[in-house]
Amino acid sequence: MNNKITELIESSFRDVDVELIEEDRVRVNVKQESLLTLLNFLKENRYSHLALISCVDRIEENFFELIYIVSPYMQQDESYTEREKVNVILKTKLPRENAQIGTAIEIFGAAEPYERELHEMFGIEFIGHPRLTPLFLEREYDIPPLRKDFDTRAYVEEKFGSIPPVED
Amino acid sequence: MEVISEKQISESSRELELYFGPQHLGMVGNFSITLKVQGDRIVNAEANPGYLHRGFEKLMETRSWIQNFPLVCRVNVIEPGSIEMIYSMGVEKLAGLEVPERGKFVRSIYLELSRVSSHLFALWAYSKMLGFDTVGQWAMYHRDLILDLFEDLTGGRVYNIYIWPGGVRRDLPEGFEEKTKQTLHKIGNKVPDYNDTFFNNRIFHERAKGIATVTREQATRMGGTGQVLRATGMKYDIRKVEPYAAYDQVDWEVPTRRDGDAYSRVMVVRDELIESVHMIFKLLDKIPDGPVYNSIPNPFKWKVPKGEAYVRSECSRGELGFYVASNGGKSPYRAHFRTPSLPHGLTVLEKALEGESISDTGNIMMSLYVTAPEIDR
Repeated sequence: MNNKITELIESSFRDVDVELIEEDRVRVNVKQESLLTLLNFLKENRYSHLALISCVDRIEENFFELIYIVSPYMQQDESYTEREKVNVILKTKLPRENAQIGTAIEIFGAAEPYERELHEMFGIEFIGHPRLTPLFLEREYDIPPLRKDFDTRAYVEEKFGSIPPVED
Repeated sequence: MEVISEKQISESSRELELYFGPQHLGMVGNFSITLKVQGDRIVNAEANPGYLHRGFEKLMETRSWIQNFPLVCRVNVIEPGSIEMIYSMGVEKLAGLEVPERGKFVRSIYLELSRVSSHLFALWAYSKMLGFDTVGQWAMYHRDLILDLFEDLTGGRVYNIYIWPGGVRRDLPEGFEEKTKQTLHKIGNKVPDYNDTFFNNRIFHERAKGIATVTREQATRMGGTGQVLRATGMKYDIRKVEPYAAYDQVDWEVPTRRDGDAYSRVMVVRDELIESVHMIFKLLDKIPDGPVYNSIPNPFKWKVPKGEAYVRSECSRGELGFYVASNGGKSPYRAHFRTPSLPHGLTVLEKALEGESISDTGNIMMSLYVTAPEIDR
């Protein structure tokens, strides 16, 4: 079953790199342009659960690695199959400067909060997202805080170091 | 007969903005919702998380693999066990560690105890929300009995850090199994009272039936898992879909309901609580002898091999996932938790609140089992 999705992706897309990394984890490296097409393809093949969108800042190689984790919901209410164990880990690279990618909301409604989070934490622009407003953070940051070049200690010293300690 | 003037009609149809939480009596946890209301109907809801954002995922990148445990167990305050488990699973996958058979059983028992305590906590919050103070006090008392068990296990009542990579920290203490059975019998004996006072109560039925219905189509579109999905009839539970720990060693059922409303979700929580209690008895009967952990390298110098892993488990509120990347260093390169309350508390909640009454806001939020700390992390 796990090989099936691997073969299916390989036969339908030419410029992707599919790899079965574990028994039930399939890793797909995809170019930025074909990401949404591939997400749509997976959804049509009943991989309809977008569990997570994450991002890793590979600062040494100077790119962001965007990670979409897609798995199937159950087809029947009662029975479990090997198919449902499979998680597809889609990965795509974005340049660190001016990172932009199309939103996946049209395909997976679940993408909305994750894209907001990544916009705030990494400064990635999701084109077409209706609500890229602040989610968790209180202040504005020059460098989005989950990027590797954001120095937490230096920020804290600069921002709060000048506040005198409370006298008793 | 009183004639309603045109002015009064326009007054009542005027749209107002209402800030619900974080300092509101009807709000559980540090969370706020901005409601647009017409009369007492909610037209539009916008969730505002962030009051508990502690930046754990950033902080985890600077601390060693073992030092991260005090952080991860605080991701969710009401059920820290599941988060310890998912973090350990991620590290084990990266490092290629195996867990001995008895360790798996002890993990399952501990996780199910956590689930029972979490569901009791939710029952406390939910019943208080509907004005059932007595039921709330019972639930809190029974949760406290479970916390006593945790105290026997590790010394800590809320944050236990019992699960480690490679197994659990130590074996069950002397007499633990007997004490667990006694406690669970005590809780089980109270179930008829819970039913009479709360679950079969007409007030609960009228407040919860038909309220905030999330259909299966809506739930799957918005990334719903856990009770949100099981209340629509799908037996989606990661413990069955992709078994971990010892969940494939015993027989148990996934409770479901059909209607997808607040009533169904709360009843699923109740049924799960009972199912978990039964499961702990079965696990205790089948538990094998042997070691409970495989030792790990010196934690101060431990370098986890380069790689990435995505693991998932079923916590009390839905699917809990964890993406972790290591570049072979002393600390994670990137750690990201997929917490069920993020989709439930933002997209699903906003959708479910539309068209409902202001007085049901807390009711709906608790029926979705939204816990603020795990949204913010």
